[in-house]
Amino acid sequence: MTLIRSLRHCAALTLLGSALISGQSLAAEKTECIAPAKPGGGYDLTCRLAANGLLETGLLDRPMVVTYMPGGIGAVAYNHVVGVRSDDENLIVAASTGAAVNLALGKFGRFGPDQVRWVGALGVDYGAVVVSADAPWHNLDELLQDMKKNPGSIPFGAGGTVGSQDWMKAALVAKSADIAPRNLRYVAFEGGGEALAALLGGHIKVFTGDLSELQSQLEGGKIRVLAALSDERQEGPYADIPTAKEQGYDVTWPIWRGYYMGKDVSDEQYQAWVDRLTELDDNPEFAKMRADRGLFPMHKFGPEFDQYVKSQIQQFKDLATEVGLTK
Amino acid sequence: MMRAADRILGIALLGLAAFVAVQAQSFYVPFSYDPVGPKAFPVGLAIILALLSLVLILRPGPNGQWPSAATCCRLVGVLVIMGVYALLFTRLGYTLSTGLAILCLARSFGASWVKALVTAVVMAVVTYFLFSDVLEISLPSGQWLTALS
Amino acid sequence: MFDFLIQGFDVALTPLNLGLAFAGALMGTLFGALPGIGPINGIAILMPLAYTLGLPAESALILLAGIYTGAEYGGRMSSILLNVPGDAGAVMTTLDGYPLAKKGMAGPALGLSAVSSFIGASIAILGLTLFAPLLAKFAVMFGPAELFVMMVFAFSSMAVMMGKDPIKTAIGAVLGILIGIIGVDSGTGVLRYTFDLPELYDGIDFVVMIIGLFAISEILLMLESRHNPAGEAEMPVVGRVLVSMKEVLFCKAAMLRSGLIGFLIGVLPGTGASVAGAVSYTTEKRLSDTEGTFGEGDMRGLAAPEAANNASAAGAFVPMLTLGIPGSGTTAVLLGALMLYNITPGPMMFTEHADVAGGLIASLYIGNLVLLLLNLPLAGLFAKVLTIPRWVLVPAIAVLSFVGVYQLHSDLSAIYLMLVIGVVGYLLRKLGFSLATVILGYVLGGLMEDNLRRALSISGGDLGILWQSGISIGLWVASVVILIGPWLWGRVRRSMQA
Repeated sequence: MTLIRSLRHCAALTLLGSALISGQSLAAEKTECIAPAKPGGGYDLTCRLAANGLLETGLLDRPMVVTYMPGGIGAVAYNHVVGVRSDDENLIVAASTGAAVNLALGKFGRFGPDQVRWVGALGVDYGAVVVSADAPWHNLDELLQDMKKNPGSIPFGAGGTVGSQDWMKAALVAKSADIAPRNLRYVAFEGGGEALAALLGGHIKVFTGDLSELQSQLEGGKIRVLAALSDERQEGPYADIPTAKEQGYDVTWPIWRGYYMGKDVSDEQYQAWVDRLTELDDNPEFAKMRADRGLFPMHKFGPEFDQYVKSQIQQFKDLATEVGLTK
Repeated sequence: MMRAADRILGIALLGLAAFVAVQAQSFYVPFSYDPVGPKAFPVGLAIILALLSLVLILRPGPNGQWPSAATCCRLVGVLVIMGVYALLFTRLGYTLSTGLAILCLARSFGASWVKALVTAVVMAVVTYFLFSDVLEISLPSGQWLTALS
Repeated sequence: MFDFLIQGFDVALTPLNLGLAFAGALMGTLFGALPGIGPINGIAILMPLAYTLGLPAESALILLAGIYTGAEYGGRMSSILLNVPGDAGAVMTTLDGYPLAKKGMAGPALGLSAVSSFIGASIAILGLTLFAPLLAKFAVMFGPAELFVMMVFAFSSMAVMMGKDPIKTAIGAVLGILIGIIGVDSGTGVLRYTFDLPELYDGIDFVVMIIGLFAISEILLMLESRHNPAGEAEMPVVGRVLVSMKEVLFCKAAMLRSGLIGFLIGVLPGTGASVAGAVSYTTEKRLSDTEGTFGEGDMRGLAAPEAANNASAAGAFVPMLTLGIPGSGTTAVLLGALMLYNITPGPMMFTEHADVAGGLIASLYIGNLVLLLLNLPLAGLFAKVLTIPRWVLVPAIAVLSFVGVYQLHSDLSAIYLMLVIGVVGYLLRKLGFSLATVILGYVLGGLMEDNLRRALSISGGDLGILWQSGISIGLWVASVVILIGPWLWGRVRRSMQA
């Protein structure tokens, strides 16, 4: 009896679900967000944030389709948009600081950042310097002073290769204390989770991760966050974490989550997307969705964002040349 | 004949090993934090592969039967069908390209025209709804459809 | 101390949640049975839906856990029936599962795999319930050095697969490792063997690899056998569809051992169902294959990887629930789902969100029971797949392969690559290679290289780190024992007889 009732529940839910997905008016434009990665990663989250947000706030009346296009750490999707769909006004592609790093290092093939239109960022996460709770360092200064004496003695770890945005965090922290990034002892893991596990197991001493992925660890008391790589302190569970800046080390690392479009999209259509995302960004309901996903507000759209991305890429290029990463 | 296949394989693998090792020398490594670096593994594997291929060339073993020339043509035919299917997948859209591919594949596996046609239509339509509506997978709709609407 | 579990069963046994567990199990089986569309996609696709429907946290999680377990059950079906693994964990299942189906034992094989999956999962869930916090400590003790030695052990145990043709087994493994090297080097970011094709930067995707190697080559082999007068006849389905108690009891040791191995491997960060399947299969072959029947349709060779991959799937929950660290790609997606509900797993999970943790564990119990009850009687129905005429079956395999790869990549180059790998797979099979060793090389090789280099970057080049901890030393000893043990044992026995 209960089984039958619950089955009926399920049937109703399924119906409701398919009505939500397919039953909308066909007249509305079919919009699409490409996540240049496999399902489940940060880019998936970026696309879903826009898709769910736009749908729930009624800014789009048909759900945005999320398509996965992994390959080349985002290069495949970038080339696809530049080469095939440069005038598709219903397409946005998820991007992040990681994509900017790859563009700066020339890993997206022959195309530069001018080949697309940067629309805006709906959220941002910040880098963090983490040690285990029983580590001898209680603030960033103690760690960096120790490192200055012998840079190669303290193993750092993070979830990306040399030249990735995860490595950049470690490199910039070192640089802020006048330690050459190539003299670090750096271990590249497959994703932040593995690096965090290695930190908890005492295999590495310092982990440069992101604030949002530490949320679950903060209460547990097994780690100590020495610094947040943001301009100002964040609120909520992060209120006690000092920034690197207030400790006298000028290093910030925002990991923005935003979108770009093809280059040949008309100004009106580009502006329409900018307006749509700006309006979404101002919605209090959306602010909660963003916070649920561990992201902070960024408030950068349109030309301002475009400028921001391009100057960021230039900054990464300079850094790469400086440390001898690029020829 | 059978032993010859192993010898040919051995020579091909020897070539592969050489290629792997030579290619590894051209990796540009700005700097590496580990003493092993990205070259050591491929080069080591190339050496192992070369040694194993030498054994294979010197002591080839028997292996399976090879298809006749006629069967080979059929195999190539099926591969061509699948290649064309891939080519048309996004251009014609899922339903149409899949229907055509099923028709050709069913024919090459001995179905009559009627059976093949029925299979093609039914399977293409049913899987389309299964994938797009039940499993929520986005499939290419094809350029001709958008042109029509 | 088990209040959370009682509370969990209270939550999981409400009609809505029971229905969701049931629906999830069915959906998951479907997702898992389709090659390339595994649990990750299933969960990633359905998660936003569950959220949009406004399901409460524990209900959403129960639905998703049902999909997760269901996919593990579904993954084995195409392994046994078509010789095409449905997901990473099901690769080893093909080794004895498909020969069993060929012998007309498809029904019992499916039944046995359901029973072994259930046993494996039960061991793991029990372990999860009783020892989760303890195991979390064990998991983080495995650093890069320990994981490297673990891979050495895995490769040593692979030596047992060298049976008939040691040279080709070794070549197959080397080829697999080489394929795994393609792409961005995870240590230095250098591109290796990508030929400036962005499509290859991330390496050759696992799904493209197994679908190409197994499914496409299978289509070619089927075509060939059709035109070969001496070729195999269509597969018969023998009347019996239920697995007998005798067969289950015959495999009980294999299931228990493999369930334990699989669970422990699943708990470790960075290793997953494929490693669990490989290690348990080779260990089992080493221990009990006295007549050399493994690989030719031995029930134990099927039970071992099935118990292990389900156990490892549940084991992956340990680091996720206790540390907030996902142990596999799928649990990473589940972690994302929890975050959506403002629940951040971690050390406080069992105290602060006891209903969610308990509900999840309870739903794993229920999901597995539902799946066992579903799968045993349905084995006969699934086995009927074999009676489908080739002219329907082959197009179906082709379509599933295309959709599986396309939905992951939205890019035609991945499909072309799949076809090329298919031709390579066909040639390798004709030349007498075992595809499983190629896949194992591909999976284990990368883990071995990455962890060796990580360990040496930690130690600054000092090789001593590789045998510094007790775990490493134990694994080194185990590797040596598994390599020369049987040979030594044989000599001892012979000298005793003499």
